[in-house]
Amino acid sequence: MTPRTFGLGALAAAALAVAVAFPVFAGGYYVRLATGIFMFGALASAWNLIGGYTGYPDFGGAAFLGIGAYTTGILMLRAHLPFAAALLAGGALAVLAAVGMGTLLLRLRGHYFAIATLGFMLVLRQVAANLPITGGGSGMNLPIASAFTPFYYWMLGTVVLGALGGAIFPRSRAGYAIAAIRENQDAAQVLGIEPLPYKILAYASNALLFGAVGGIYAYWFTFIDPPTVFNIDFSIQAVVMTLLGGPGTALGPVAGAIILKILDTILTNISLFLHNVFFGALVCLLIIFAPRGLAEVLRRRGGIVRAIRAELEDSRV
Amino acid sequence: MPLLRAGAVTKLFGRLVAVDRVDLVIDAGEIVGLIGPNGAGKTTLVNLITGIEPPTSGTLVFDGTTLAGLRPAAIARLGIARTFQIAQPFRNMTVRQNVAVPALFRANPAAGVGQALGEAGAILDTVGLGPKREFSARALTTPDLRRLELAKALALRPRLLLLDEVMAGLTPAEVDAEIAMLRRVNAQGITLLVIEHVLRAVMGLSHRVVVLHHGRKIADGPPARVVEDPGVIAAYLGNRRPAGRSG
Amino acid sequence: MIFNTDVALQNAVNGLLIGGTYATVSLGFSLVWGILNIVNLAHGAFVMLGAYETYWLFTLYHVDPLASLPLTAAALFALGYPIQRYVINLVIRASFLVTFLLTFGLELLINSGRSLLLGPVVLPLVRVATFAVAVAVAILLHLLLTRTRLGSAIRATASDQEAARLMGIPIAHVYALTFGIAAATAAIAGGLISLSFPIYPAMDAGYTFIGFVVCALGGLGSVPGALLGGVILGLLQTYTAAWLGPNYDNLVAFAVLILILLLRPAGLLGRVQRFRG
Repeated sequence: MTPRTFGLGALAAAALAVAVAFPVFAGGYYVRLATGIFMFGALASAWNLIGGYTGYPDFGGAAFLGIGAYTTGILMLRAHLPFAAALLAGGALAVLAAVGMGTLLLRLRGHYFAIATLGFMLVLRQVAANLPITGGGSGMNLPIASAFTPFYYWMLGTVVLGALGGAIFPRSRAGYAIAAIRENQDAAQVLGIEPLPYKILAYASNALLFGAVGGIYAYWFTFIDPPTVFNIDFSIQAVVMTLLGGPGTALGPVAGAIILKILDTILTNISLFLHNVFFGALVCLLIIFAPRGLAEVLRRRGGIVRAIRAELEDSRV
Repeated sequence: MPLLRAGAVTKLFGRLVAVDRVDLVIDAGEIVGLIGPNGAGKTTLVNLITGIEPPTSGTLVFDGTTLAGLRPAAIARLGIARTFQIAQPFRNMTVRQNVAVPALFRANPAAGVGQALGEAGAILDTVGLGPKREFSARALTTPDLRRLELAKALALRPRLLLLDEVMAGLTPAEVDAEIAMLRRVNAQGITLLVIEHVLRAVMGLSHRVVVLHHGRKIADGPPARVVEDPGVIAAYLGNRRPAGRSG
Repeated sequence: MIFNTDVALQNAVNGLLIGGTYATVSLGFSLVWGILNIVNLAHGAFVMLGAYETYWLFTLYHVDPLASLPLTAAALFALGYPIQRYVINLVIRASFLVTFLLTFGLELLINSGRSLLLGPVVLPLVRVATFAVAVAVAILLHLLLTRTRLGSAIRATASDQEAARLMGIPIAHVYALTFGIAAATAAIAGGLISLSFPIYPAMDAGYTFIGFVVCALGGLGSVPGALLGGVILGLLQTYTAAWLGPNYDNLVAFAVLILILLLRPAGLLGRVQRFRG
């Protein structure tokens, strides 16, 4: 363990201690805000596994979020299961769906995969809007929880899981396989790596977190309908946060979530239009000027302008 | 005892016959040179052996195991490694991480990432890349990328190593160093199939030379005999095209 | 359900009409993918803009929707050209993921205007006319690509960028023109859609998806391919709606996409990567 990773680990542990104690001294508004930050931190960490580390841009994460939300809702409402059991089932179903879809879609090249996942999400939205068990287009009301602080800790749990995954993954055997596949799949294969199982692993981990967040979200908001949960906005925000913090890094997505969610809360209070413009412009600027995240740009401080120029010289027409 | 046996291996691309009923036997411990003009089917043959492309017909048997239907990863784990004519590094990983990848995924893999990285360091020392182990692979020069290709192949602990034009573009001094290194590799018990354009290198290094022309095998024997074969002279030397690319 | 020749015929006509619209949606998507090697996630947003422009011209100034199509197309060309010239061209040679995510950012940016737009609206039905326009646009684009100097410049650039540069073709300009033309056809598609279907701000993702499915069906960058793919998808959706109910059109498109990608990755017409007029 290098001093730097040790330092980061200590910092993360301290942040976690503060986070655990936070609801004791903070007011309800800030606890809600922090819950939202954790939620998106978890989604961004999840997207980072498949989009950042693996290089397969998934635009259908909301499909798994919706599966988690509806499974949790249906099991609580119609089978009267306790929340934890329903949530577990939701996460498991999301993983199953990812294994199934991944087996079909992860053979494809990245952009085919991306659009197909978007299509998968649109299909599920349509199915949820037409089935009786989901309450169709009019949605579904979940039982109302007695307290809201538990949601804070549930979401904290998912973001910790996501960050841990992001930290352990690149140092693991599977992480080496994924990195090699992302960099050069042909070369990886002739060195003994069977690509599909590793890609499915990354995709299913991503789905687990999206599904878990969906289940918690459903119980937290107590109302779900197809457009709210099968909403591409979840994927969009996860992508933007990951790009901001640095794709393929452990804590980048969480950092991106913290920065963006706070900015976002301020902007949304001013105008929804401003919020939307901001997100679009941010993606464009990041992609053109800082494709490896802001952290990378800051690391090369002093030479930022030169670094950006060099990046542009390489890729413009 | 034959390590690799190809029987009437054929590959068609549409109506083009890239490899035409090639029989080939490589014994354990040999260094076999594979030469031929551009488009002779050399790289295609390597792709067939490593499972990148399936043969249209014919048989490939490696140490008693039929390769038909096996995927590239499975063939690699059987102990067949290759280098690519155009180096295929994992660009955004360090040189040492590049070499740790095969160490983690061969048949008897390293116990963990730490051990694989340690082993990778040792292999990099033997190919002369030790000082650059923490470089990003994207920062390497072309000769260094070739060395990295070889290091990755060696980390797979292969029994058969297929080298696709590892000496193209090297200076004569570099060629000599490369030949010495390949001899050392062979002395460790690794069988070599060397595809080359640099004839001097193949002739000096190989125990045996196989010549492909228009996908067919037209000669197979000791280097001295092959260079005097009238068919080879007519086909290969009479047809010489600018070096640097091959089929 | 009783099988009935009239119903079958009606389905065929409906499928053909929807398919014509789908084909128009996909022409530009296919062009940009085939020539520039960009999967343009903002394509649906162009369609959406075209649809609303047609709607507003009709509501505010009583311009006949079909008559306003050239105007709408010109406006979107004027938007598309600078987007490619001054934004996408900056990263055109970077990895596929980069251009992909950039168009995603553009899509978000264009769509951010959605809070300024009206909710679902429908214009009166004139589907037969829309089909005629769809075919006319396809023929014009085909002629443009195969019979004009600009068309040969575009195709030369697609097949060998370096050679085209040596021949003195201004690549950045050609790219921008291609993108602008694609945006213009998207605008026409939007205008046609506004005549027959409800339009709403969030319609963009669905139409980008349709463009993609049609390309998968018809192959990349081929005008006849886009026509064929669009019509096939339209017919499939119409016929399956007869027994699945009308609410599963996305499911049908998705199933078609998956089947094609797994069975014939090069598309039904079997051409990938390179453009042929």
